[in-house]
Amino acid sequence: MPSDCQGHRVFENPEISLDELPSADDVEWRSLAARYVRRLQVQSLITATVAVIGVVVLQAAPLPITQRWLFGLAWLLIGINGVSGLLWPLVSVPHKGYAIRDKDILYRSGVFWRTVTAVPFNRVQHVETSSTPLDRYFRLAALQLFTAGGSGGDLKIYGVPADVAESLRLFILEKAGASIERS
Amino acid sequence: MSAADADGWHRTSPFAALFYLGKIYQAIAKNAVQSLAPLAAFLVAFQGDMKAKLVIGIGAFVLGTFILAILRYWFFRYRITDTSLLIRDGVFKRTQLDIKFERVQGVNTEQNVIFRMLELLTVSFDTAGSSGQEGYLPAIRTESARELRDRIRHVPKIGDAVDSQGKMDRPDTTTRTLLRLTAGDMVRIGLSSNRVFLVVVLIGPISEYVEQEFGEIVEESAVVEFLTQAQTGLMSGLTFGLLLALGVLILLFSISVAGAFLRFHRFELVADEGVLRSTGGLLTRHEHSVNRSKVQSLQANQHVVLRLFRRFRLRARQASSGRVDRGSDFIVPICTGQVLVDLGLEFFPGEFTGLSLDPRASRFRRISPYYLRSHIVLIGVVPAILATALFWNSSGIAAMVALLWIPACAVIVWQKYRRYGVLYGQDGLVLRSGLIGFSVVVWLHRKVQRVSISQSPFQRRRQLATVRIFLAAGPAIRIPYMEHAKATALRDYVLYRVESSEVAWH
Repeated sequence: MPSDCQGHRVFENPEISLDELPSADDVEWRSLAARYVRRLQVQSLITATVAVIGVVVLQAAPLPITQRWLFGLAWLLIGINGVSGLLWPLVSVPHKGYAIRDKDILYRSGVFWRTVTAVPFNRVQHVETSSTPLDRYFRLAALQLFTAGGSGGDLKIYGVPADVAESLRLFILEKAGASIERS
Repeated sequence: MSAADADGWHRTSPFAALFYLGKIYQAIAKNAVQSLAPLAAFLVAFQGDMKAKLVIGIGAFVLGTFILAILRYWFFRYRITDTSLLIRDGVFKRTQLDIKFERVQGVNTEQNVIFRMLELLTVSFDTAGSSGQEGYLPAIRTESARELRDRIRHVPKIGDAVDSQGKMDRPDTTTRTLLRLTAGDMVRIGLSSNRVFLVVVLIGPISEYVEQEFGEIVEESAVVEFLTQAQTGLMSGLTFGLLLALGVLILLFSISVAGAFLRFHRFELVADEGVLRSTGGLLTRHEHSVNRSKVQSLQANQHVVLRLFRRFRLRARQASSGRVDRGSDFIVPICTGQVLVDLGLEFFPGEFTGLSLDPRASRFRRISPYYLRSHIVLIGVVPAILATALFWNSSGIAAMVALLWIPACAVIVWQKYRRYGVLYGQDGLVLRSGLIGFSVVVWLHRKVQRVSISQSPFQRRRQLATVRIFLAAGPAIRIPYMEHAKATALRDYVLYRVESSEVAWH
């Protein structure tokens, strides 16, 4: 709150024009790391490989399985899952992105159903970065922002370069800590 | 208060053992299998006749629980310092709890019949950041509880505004009664209980079966004979069935009304220095308090029966660390429209201007009519055509019955569309929804935690969007089918209000 020349706090209540409010649409979106596509594809390949081994072992094993068509179905599912796992990241990752503003973070996602989520820094309870071994191999991390309340989970941004995620974590923590509110 | 040792640690009244006995039996009821397994094992292993087994088994069980309750009382100590309440608890696993007064958001009390005669109370505390750890003082004297409550109330809370002279900014220092419920209200609460209506809905389809079964059972009974003698003729079975159903219904309503008396008898809601406090209960008096700054949203409900009575039910959702269950909500079981307006002003003082909890307020704006089209197509037309196609081979023309779902769905979607309404206020927003009854949710922009805007391909074509508002309590609030431009303007305004707010959201 501003102060006058004697140091007393001056109450200000300027009228705000709705047209002058900064729009969250006029931002420069930062894409997720390009290697996040490869990371997702590798994960799909690993999953598919495990599934293939499982089905091959089951087929070879002397099990009393009479419904042989189940194996055909399993191969079909593995095929669909594998192909979509390789192609879908090429489409979905470019549709994801985040934007950091002075007072909030925005995250967009979705190819058909598109969503933009905004989290003000002064509502952030804490920030976490996490990475799986596969993430670490690709030098990626997930950034998770926790706000109060249990509705709908918290904001989690996957596929951020590990060094960027860490600097974002520190930046958001600093911003969250700087907000001073009173009852 | 009670005798204190040299370090200032107090014991509560020995009657606290009764409180612990209740807790032990509650825990046993919750984990019946695990808790009673040793008893069952003993009964199987013990040599002797069944009578001796039962007497010894039950005796050992009762004695064991009594000893445990007494031990829990014996090991429970508390100490009140200038700034906090310290509690030492536990027989085998010792815990020490430090409840800082500045963190206490609400003080709740419970007084059962025995405690009322002995002028004792059980006090529990709502604390910020307690992560579900429960702090309570069982069986302390009413006077001590009042002193403690006053003491807690006058300790500055975290984040409270303090002016330049170090005085608290507390504008409201008087205790005002906002609502008192009468015996008539108890009957209304009982009659409008959701549980009763659930049973009625269930009874509907099975009533025919019940009637048939009972018809066979009592075919030759005196009741039928009496009914026949009363010349009710062929209708006697049906009449009996209806009477039976009516009897069950009356019984259910009576139980429900009795339940309302038990929980809400002499219900009183008072406003007291920024805290709203409700007391009520026939045998056990419950006192529940909520710091109004903690309230995140207000939800007024009016289902069919409440609509007949022209009454509402109000739920104030409060942020409670570590707990997002319904148990932390503050409930006003029944109130009139006028009281509802007063309560809105009371919960959100100075910020309720332009907002309303009345579902019939004229300023509600409808959502886009495209809601009708997309929902009728997605929920009505598509499933109906699929079902018809699926059963066409097996059922032939009869499969067309599935198409009847389309007009039925259209009526439901139309009704839901009519119920949806948004009321824009400077400091908050109101969303009205429902199907037969109404649900009205009010919240303040500055308390919003997150906001998101979603668009389906259809919505993108029509420049529409769905807004989701996330608060610190309760599920996300969804405003469907807004114009996209309005949705983004609303989001930007909410962000502006959150980010420029200097007032804590809790």
